[in-house]
Amino acid sequence: MIGHVDADCFYVSAERVRFPHLRSMPVGVLGNHGACIIAKSYEMKAAGVSTGMPIWDATPICPQAVYVKRDFRWYEALSRRMLALVQEVSPRVEFYSIDEQFFAALEPTDGFARQLQNNLLTRVGVPVSIGIAPTKTLAKLISDSSKPFGYGVVADDRQRRALLHNRPVTDITGIAKRSAMHLAAHGIETCDQFARADRAFIRWLLTKRGEDLWWELNGTPVIPVQAVRPKHKFVSRGGSIGRASCDPARVQAFVVRNVERLVEALMHYKVCCDQLTLSLSFTDRPERSLRSSLLGSRADFEALLEAALHLLPQVWQPSSAAVHYMHVIAGCLRPLAHRQMSLFEQPQLHDVKHRINNAVGRFALRSGSTLPLVDVYGDAANEYDICDIYGKSCF
Amino acid sequence: MCKGISILKARLKQELFEQYELSQRIVTRGAGAQEEVHFMYPGAPPIELPVLHDGQLVIYEWGNRNNKACKLPNTGWCRIESLEAGKWRWLSPEKVVIPADFGLEKSVWFQINEGMEGVLVHDEQLRPHVYMMTQPASHYYQTMTRHDRMPILVGQEI
Repeated sequence: MIGHVDADCFYVSAERVRFPHLRSMPVGVLGNHGACIIAKSYEMKAAGVSTGMPIWDATPICPQAVYVKRDFRWYEALSRRMLALVQEVSPRVEFYSIDEQFFAALEPTDGFARQLQNNLLTRVGVPVSIGIAPTKTLAKLISDSSKPFGYGVVADDRQRRALLHNRPVTDITGIAKRSAMHLAAHGIETCDQFARADRAFIRWLLTKRGEDLWWELNGTPVIPVQAVRPKHKFVSRGGSIGRASCDPARVQAFVVRNVERLVEALMHYKVCCDQLTLSLSFTDRPERSLRSSLLGSRADFEALLEAALHLLPQVWQPSSAAVHYMHVIAGCLRPLAHRQMSLFEQPQLHDVKHRINNAVGRFALRSGSTLPLVDVYGDAANEYDICDIYGKSCF
Repeated sequence: MCKGISILKARLKQELFEQYELSQRIVTRGAGAQEEVHFMYPGAPPIELPVLHDGQLVIYEWGNRNNKACKLPNTGWCRIESLEAGKWRWLSPEKVVIPADFGLEKSVWFQINEGMEGVLVHDEQLRPHVYMMTQPASHYYQTMTRHDRMPILVGQEI
């Protein structure tokens, strides 16, 4: 049997751990720029505020709400406390995302779920919902439908059918709007309809991923609990660059910053890459991306930056378009230890930078090309805090 | 800037409620939430702020609002730039802490961990007045509240 632990409104709950007076009031956690709500309490949700809503739209809807600046380091600390506690009761735990874990449930009972829930509340301070079932998909469906602070166990076929009955297919993790539209076109709108559908038809319609969900919904586990994160196929760093920009110096500075972050990640995972992709999203134009092959397997800042800056003018077309988001993606990954070094490689500046930043602090020594990002590095209150949490199997 | 603050009712001594009629300032943000006491500028007179002064939590008048007979600056805020330039020296200002749990600016309530810095001065009758100190707003605060000034928070950056 497989268990699934899902923290209830995790970022808000994490803030309530250190500021208990935030309990029972509408609370919104603001994202990196102080503009959008990235997490909300159930009180705020009840008032009609949705995640992603700008603060200026939310305040008229919920004038009594309190807003908190995000603190990803604190959220990661609590997340790892949750993980450690679940590891105490299970020999195999998957760190699925910052607020979710899957685990091998040795005792699939209501009593066990309730006790784990109470332990997490008393020892970590975070309320969670828990599902236990024969498969990951069913376990997650239980915890999602038990929120907030609920739990449930599906131990037999009657309970499984009751869980799926009349539940929209979009409640299944992995069935998004597009898949739901395909299914709806064939009269499949609920989980029980999906589970009763012909397996081969589901595979034809939604490929192997859809078939895996079909097996899982019918109680046959095909998606394993991954105690060790699977090897990366890609490593990506990027995100919003704040206010959309047409300024070449600012956009280039963000490319440099994201390459620095990417190199950090490659070093952490001890991999190098043969390919680099730069992807840009614009405010009023379709996203564009281009890939470049590197000269050998590389993980050093100089080589990756050269490739990224080579791609930048080709991806940024037309140059009048305002860039809003970007990603720098390393592909064709290989273990760093197996890398064939070039005869002409010199000791890299990166090694020095890495040692200094480890000792002094992240980005203490960084490329001078990031100087235009005064609002990122020059404002201690901002820092564009990054949720770079390693070891999760999901995002 | 910050045109209002809120402090948890539990942090204020009972005698302050009687002395300053604070019970009419008590609000709550939801069933089960802790009660708070709001201090607004402008609000129903008298306009006041809680202040930590000489180790005591007391209530003082918030700046000088339209009292032309009083020579104190006609505002509720003190720019740190003007304080550092010596423009308040004639008032012998004393730095104090304004304890608060939430601040309010342009309809946005934001979390305050400990409190904010203020300056205490005295008028001609030696009555204490407290001004909230402000600094240029950080990018984050400016986006959040759409104001270009912000309070100086104690041990906290927004």
